[in-house]
Amino acid sequence: MTPVELVAPATETEALEELARGPAGSRAIVAGGTDLLFDLQGARPGPTHLVSLRRLPWRTHAWEAGGLRVGATEPLRTLEADPRLGQELPALAQAIAAVGSPALRRQATLGGNLGRSAPASDLAPALLALDAEVELVGRAGARRMSVDRFLRSSRSTALLAGELVRSVRLPEARPRSAYLWQRVRPANDISQIGLAVAFAPSPGLWRVALGGVPPRPVLAPDAARELAGDRPAAREIASAAERLAAHPALVSDRRATEEHRRRLAAVLCTRAIRTAVGEPRDPP
Amino acid sequence: MSAARRPDADAKVRGAVEFGTDLSADGMWWGALVLAPVPHGTIRAVDLSAARAIPSVVAVGAADLPRLLGGAAGDPDRPAFPGQEVVYRSQPVAAVAAESLSLAREAARAVRVEVEERSAVADLEAVFPEWPGPEAARSPHVAAHVLARHGDVDRELGGAETVVAETYRTAGVHQVALEPHACLAEIRDGRWTVRTSTQSPFGVREDVASILGIAEGSVDVEGTWVGGGFGGKGASLLEPYALLLAKEAGRPVRLALTYREEFLLGRSTLPLVARLETGVRGGRIVARRVRLLLDVGTSLPGRDFATGYSIGFLLGPYRTETFEVEGFAVRTNKPPFGPHRAPIAPQAAFVAESHLSAVARAIGADPDEFRATHLWSEGGTTNLGQRVGPFGLAAALASARARAADWRKHKPPGHGVGVGLGFWSTNTGAGGEARLTLNERELVIEQGEREIGSGSVLVGLAAVASRRTGVPAERVRVDYRGTTEAPFDSGVYGSRTVGALGRAVDEAAVGLLAELGRRLGTPAPVTLTLQDGAIAVRFGQEVRPLPPLLTPEERSGAGLVGAGRHYGQAAEIDASRVVDGTFYPYQDFTGAAHVAEVDVDTLTGAVRVVRYAAFHDAGVVLDPAAARAQVEGGVAMGLGTALTEEALWSDDGRLLNAGLLDYRIPTLGEVPPVEVTFLEGYAGAGPFGAKGLGEPPIIPVPATVAAALADAVGVHPTELPLSPERVARIVKAARPSGGTDAAHPG
Amino acid sequence: MSATAPIVTVNGRPVSLREVPGDERLLDTLRWRLGLRGTKEGCRSGECGACTVLVDGAARLSCLSLSRDLEGTTVTTVEAVGDDPLGRTVQEAFAEEGALQCGYCTPGFVMALTGALRERGRSATSAELTADLAGNLCRCTGYASIVRAVERARSRSR
Repeated sequence: MTPVELVAPATETEALEELARGPAGSRAIVAGGTDLLFDLQGARPGPTHLVSLRRLPWRTHAWEAGGLRVGATEPLRTLEADPRLGQELPALAQAIAAVGSPALRRQATLGGNLGRSAPASDLAPALLALDAEVELVGRAGARRMSVDRFLRSSRSTALLAGELVRSVRLPEARPRSAYLWQRVRPANDISQIGLAVAFAPSPGLWRVALGGVPPRPVLAPDAARELAGDRPAAREIASAAERLAAHPALVSDRRATEEHRRRLAAVLCTRAIRTAVGEPRDPP
Repeated sequence: MSAARRPDADAKVRGAVEFGTDLSADGMWWGALVLAPVPHGTIRAVDLSAARAIPSVVAVGAADLPRLLGGAAGDPDRPAFPGQEVVYRSQPVAAVAAESLSLAREAARAVRVEVEERSAVADLEAVFPEWPGPEAARSPHVAAHVLARHGDVDRELGGAETVVAETYRTAGVHQVALEPHACLAEIRDGRWTVRTSTQSPFGVREDVASILGIAEGSVDVEGTWVGGGFGGKGASLLEPYALLLAKEAGRPVRLALTYREEFLLGRSTLPLVARLETGVRGGRIVARRVRLLLDVGTSLPGRDFATGYSIGFLLGPYRTETFEVEGFAVRTNKPPFGPHRAPIAPQAAFVAESHLSAVARAIGADPDEFRATHLWSEGGTTNLGQRVGPFGLAAALASARARAADWRKHKPPGHGVGVGLGFWSTNTGAGGEARLTLNERELVIEQGEREIGSGSVLVGLAAVASRRTGVPAERVRVDYRGTTEAPFDSGVYGSRTVGALGRAVDEAAVGLLAELGRRLGTPAPVTLTLQDGAIAVRFGQEVRPLPPLLTPEERSGAGLVGAGRHYGQAAEIDASRVVDGTFYPYQDFTGAAHVAEVDVDTLTGAVRVVRYAAFHDAGVVLDPAAARAQVEGGVAMGLGTALTEEALWSDDGRLLNAGLLDYRIPTLGEVPPVEVTFLEGYAGAGPFGAKGLGEPPIIPVPATVAAALADAVGVHPTELPLSPERVARIVKAARPSGGTDAAHPG
Repeated sequence: MSATAPIVTVNGRPVSLREVPGDERLLDTLRWRLGLRGTKEGCRSGECGACTVLVDGAARLSCLSLSRDLEGTTVTTVEAVGDDPLGRTVQEAFAEEGALQCGYCTPGFVMALTGALRERGRSATSAELTADLAGNLCRCTGYASIVRAVERARSRSR
């Protein structure tokens, strides 16, 4: 067996050149590595080269013109520790807190989570609801697209061969947003349902996204359309919950039956919207 | 309260103890197993040639056994590797060893296994779609059948004012010791030598000899520190494979399971289905019928212990003059059943307690009052006619009811408070021997058993020796020996270490003191003490130095030797009540009543346990800190059984959740504060009146959580675990207008 | 990629990573290359926390860390954490409270709590610290004694 090589390019250009070497599938990208190493156990044939992004200057996040730009290798734990996140993008803060354990979050990155299109991601629904964009970079240059377009399926994204996720951009503060989840065990479990809602002040519209559903988290525009204004009426919330419970992505697997997922989707939808607008979780 | 420092604490906080997974040796190779790809099938080929073609690799399979074992014939019912038929998915069919672990894994993948798949059955209800009658006892799918009765159940049920009939189902659970199975084998001077993480070195020796068909006297087993057992490390698992590889490789071989393999081929407790029928007249139970189907996987006929032991827990600690119990150990294409901290007793107590509450509610009685009026009395007998000795369960129940009443006064909406009982016995029947050596510096307990974590060996046996002799506990040392040198003992299981092996230690200590008395020529009681830092002998008012009482050989050697043995006698049950099969009597009754307060989210079904109290009869408590730790740990493990732990098997015998992400044991955040109380005054058969406490704390937990849930939502569950989905389903069934509708105001 | 020999500092000692394959986990480097077996192997997939070590002072899962990717960092394991007063305080707290039974998870808990105390500093609350231990599983103690040890270590480390 030839030992697997780990290379850590110092610049973006070098990284992209490295990715272009060797046959397809020979290079695996290491950001935080948590999901990759989980997967690498016994995978055959595995990559011959691991390309670490640790030396790239992407381990950063910055608040720009009302929005947030997160470098692809910024650890979740660092983002979580930024008090602005909870104020301006509560759905993202809540989704990050839902990921794995604190030690895992010290390694895991937003870019890695998206780049590997983890099927039961807690982060992706929040990013969908917050209308996030990913910035990709390849030898042909950089391009941007919505997270919704980026995520194709479980373990499948719009990344072309040799491309990397460089950053994730949250376009504006959405203080009226929330992410809720339901699990068999509260800590360190896969969410049966993850539910993100966010109110976008400029167009004045809500976005609702569902996670924990195969093959990837999805937007629920039908449910979102039931909601009007920054403080939806109880009847609107009820309609949104009902619409969401009918979402075709809600199916059975070994973590939950379709029936339970539909029940949870409705309950969490109501609770998430009420949480986002600062009302008690359950209606009186 | 600060606990007394455990003798192993300093080493353990520094990571300085050697577990099975930490073993290594010069020139060691690494082993890996080749697992069956299907749950049931006829083996066409296990082709090792591709693996053997890799340099620095050895491989062994069924065909190699005669050569490696010199023609010895192992137990044909459980060969090291199957020759013709695989009976569960992940059954080892071959093993390889190589100079590195990655090479061993590559070699294992290179083994070509051809199996012609046959129909498999993984669900016990698929084996018996209709409930089996007694004639099924001789079905090839039944590993054991037990039937006992007293009186005419049909007539009494027919004459009852109220009959409650229910069916319960519980899931399989894994032990989840954090240390995976691991051992290091070597053929040393022609002897089969293995160091291994085990709850029973002598049990492993017996298993290895039987599986390989070699003499027990040619096998040496030495225990290592054990990173958690919980029943999962009682029998041999990897040792025969590791020894065969060591023999083939001519060098030491380390074999350890990955954590995924730990789930796939470890022996775990499997699902059960129970049907109960209870008739009541005039506020009293007049008859009960209890029937059990227990999935025992590929356990062999004659090797099922759980059914005949644990079926009694389905009746609970309650008097029933007229009853019938019948149990079937049902074979399925899963790994053999394995014990899991009080095997199926937590599940059975959940069934028994929930059913009793259902019966009480059906006649408008208070469930806990109904419990109290039917409880066995101390000095009375069990349903099978076994005498009940000193037993504090009634007192525990009274304490628990008082606590529950207090908590109910303050509980917020959505909360529920419930009480559950559980009983167990200390397995004082299994034998053990002890050897103590005494010198001026220390009292040494020579031991084959290793500490598994509970403290029963390091703290418990030392406490017995210390209390009997007067030597301070810090001067009592446990010295581990392999099976060739150590006195025989059955193993650290069955809550028996202090209760049974402790009696052998106590006898050895008594013998030492008596011998010193003889040498002193005094009829006065002799004890030991410290004088100027040395162990000295005290009798009457006198203290004498020890050395002059020792022979020259004792002085120059280890010291004065005392030996003790304890081979307990099984208690008696009323044989006239047994119709078929073997019912195992209980040995020394222990029991507990627990109280839980839960917060139930009726919309999502999520249950959070907010506080918990445990009242235990553990006989005379020898070490309060260790005893409290057992209860705290047992309750947390029981919360897993109650709420989140569930082995998920596909219909065709594939374990779907072989990992810690989907097999969910409690984390720190899910365990509430646990208040622990011991009830004094019910001395057991162990030394100084001790009773075993390893298993009892887990037993009442699912029953207690279920009772609290029933209190909160008005309907009681009939399945474990109480996952959010199950809870949401029963809440919805009970409140057709509730459920998700509550989320839609207006 | 880097021309000089890649080095990681383990318990104060420089260790060359030149011979270490790119896919080798820190857990395996520590246990089998360096003989530091106090760091325990449990699930190997980030779910049990038994393999927790400190990397540049912060708790990290060695089973999900590539040794070569830690070039230039400082790794501390349970064998050396007691050389530091904070680590010693944490070890003492676990020993004094009897916050261990089989001891297999104990090194991971010791490292995770040491890392959490270092990260959060003097203002750490018990709730924050116990939340930081959510990724460490213990099957023996039921966590009760571990929570007491957290409280003891917190008050001692102020």
